[in-house]
Amino acid sequence: MIENQRLVLYLTLAVLACAVLIPLVTGLNVYYLTVLIIMVIFIIYASAWNFLTYSGQGSLGHAAFFGIGGYISTLIAVKSGLTPYLTIFIGGAAAAAVGLFIGIICVRMKEWFLAMVTFGFAVIIQVLVASQFSTVTGGWDGIAAPPLISNTVPNYLVYEYYSILLIAVIVILLFRVILNSKIGLAFSAIRENELEARAAGIDPVRFKLLAFMVSAYFAGLAGALEIHYLGYITPEIFGVDISFWPIIYSISGGLGTLAGPIIGTIVITLLWDGLQSLGLTYGRFIIIGIILVLVVIFLPRGLVSLPEEIRKRVPKWKVRFNKLLSK
Amino acid sequence: MDIGLDIFLQVLVWGLYAGCIYILLATGLNLIFGVMKVVNFAHGQLLMIGAYVTFSFFVLTGFNPYVLLAASIPILILIGVSIERLCFRPILGTGKLNEIFISIGLIYILENVAAMIWTDEWKVIQSPFESITVAVGDMKIPVDYLIIIVTTVIILVALYIFLKKSRLGLAVRATSQNRKAAMLVGINVERMDMLSFGIGAGLAGAAGTLWVVSGQVFNPYMGSVPAVKAFAIVIIGGLGSIPGAIIGGLLLGIAENFTVLTIGGAWKDAVAFLILIIVLIIKPTGLFGEEAE
Repeated sequence: MIENQRLVLYLTLAVLACAVLIPLVTGLNVYYLTVLIIMVIFIIYASAWNFLTYSGQGSLGHAAFFGIGGYISTLIAVKSGLTPYLTIFIGGAAAAAVGLFIGIICVRMKEWFLAMVTFGFAVIIQVLVASQFSTVTGGWDGIAAPPLISNTVPNYLVYEYYSILLIAVIVILLFRVILNSKIGLAFSAIRENELEARAAGIDPVRFKLLAFMVSAYFAGLAGALEIHYLGYITPEIFGVDISFWPIIYSISGGLGTLAGPIIGTIVITLLWDGLQSLGLTYGRFIIIGIILVLVVIFLPRGLVSLPEEIRKRVPKWKVRFNKLLSK
Repeated sequence: MDIGLDIFLQVLVWGLYAGCIYILLATGLNLIFGVMKVVNFAHGQLLMIGAYVTFSFFVLTGFNPYVLLAASIPILILIGVSIERLCFRPILGTGKLNEIFISIGLIYILENVAAMIWTDEWKVIQSPFESITVAVGDMKIPVDYLIIIVTTVIILVALYIFLKKSRLGLAVRATSQNRKAAMLVGINVERMDMLSFGIGAGLAGAAGTLWVVSGQVFNPYMGSVPAVKAFAIVIIGGLGSIPGAIIGGLLLGIAENFTVLTIGGAWKDAVAFLILIIVLIIKPTGLFGEEAE
């Protein structure tokens, strides 16, 4: 067990070292930087989505929080002239407030009901932003968002990348601290058996709402980062794809583990960009879809569990191999 | 806004006809849920495939699109049976969220296979009866709407007779009521899974044909909106309740069209979720739903 923990620590440090070194090694290549920036932002987003599953909840509409974070942060940055590095946290707070509201409605619901209602909220918020509030939000045309660092600064992408990486590291450490604390224990208790958790003196509603708010906060933060990096925002951000990506990343990596969303995001993003460079426009979606189906069926605990699964099966393969030889 | 009686009736007929497509989808979802206790979130993509199958046959043969129901339903039944066999059977009895994740994978696969075959442009075909209307009092109802409503009724009656009168239908109902007991009396429940999923997909295919015939545009990504509405109907009407699906579908079709008339077109898609959320706040298991497991 201790052996394993040390291994995990080394691996984490290795991944982090790669994340720090790759831009330097590749000579500040702009293409690699853009891939890395999006990847790190989505690691925050997928981790935030995954955080919700610790408490036994789920969401098919996290784009709502991603988008609200983006819109609020942009609007405040435009109106007040504050640097986006401050407004992203306000955007996150707005997403958390909406998350609390949606959470209060969803807290009694389970599985499909929760899935549908969260999905529905993303649709409703999209309509609200695109039509009711179009005077502020620019409707379907969207609005321009101020960049994190002005593009007149030389190598501004590099600074953006390292600042986003720093935020991501802090967020994931924070998740780790929360999940290793008594709060994390309460989450697992609620996830495994809500009735027993209640019998043990845990108030499921409070903890579920907390999970929803924290998850929404960091999804909003990720959305704000993404928007300030891209430089514009439209209601497309509430689309189904944005809701589904964190799910795909978390599942392929491994649901309910800290490393899962990180590994899933890295692997799927690399695969995605690789397939794109091969010129597969529709094919890459099909491949991602097939991977998702195969992972759910054959590797329900995600890529994280791959080494363990292989270790479990190697003896069987050896026996079979020896049989073949002896024939 | 002043709404005259004729506009009221007009909207009511629109709502009925829009409701027909939702009813076919929701009935299929309900049948699958009743027997397998899984929810197929990729159901709208089956409607989309049904629409394209109809489109292709129409372009190739030039038959009356209503006749093409005879093509889209069997093809979709085949697709449905394969999906059940390959994707849903392996995860039966595992975590409840797995079917949602499988469905997300299926959505990506089906949408983009369709985009590869038929490109992602919006398509539309014209019904041969497009210009024919029937005058009822002051208003004119396109004859297509009436045919669609009648077709839906025929399909639902056929399904009802199959479920209530045939031995196979009896087996389906038995599996849906109590899977273990059905197994004990010698029903091959896995075959019932395939059958119900096939029928569900066939109903989605029929909905796809009707979607095309009514002159609505379609592209590979159009499936999710009708599907989530159908799902909302299923929840409003109660999981597994087919009469609930029919009432819910009609209500939603009418509510949507009145929303367009009173609040504005942008709210058409959101109103289903507003109704859904309000219903679930009042009763978290759906209007006619039993206690969720």
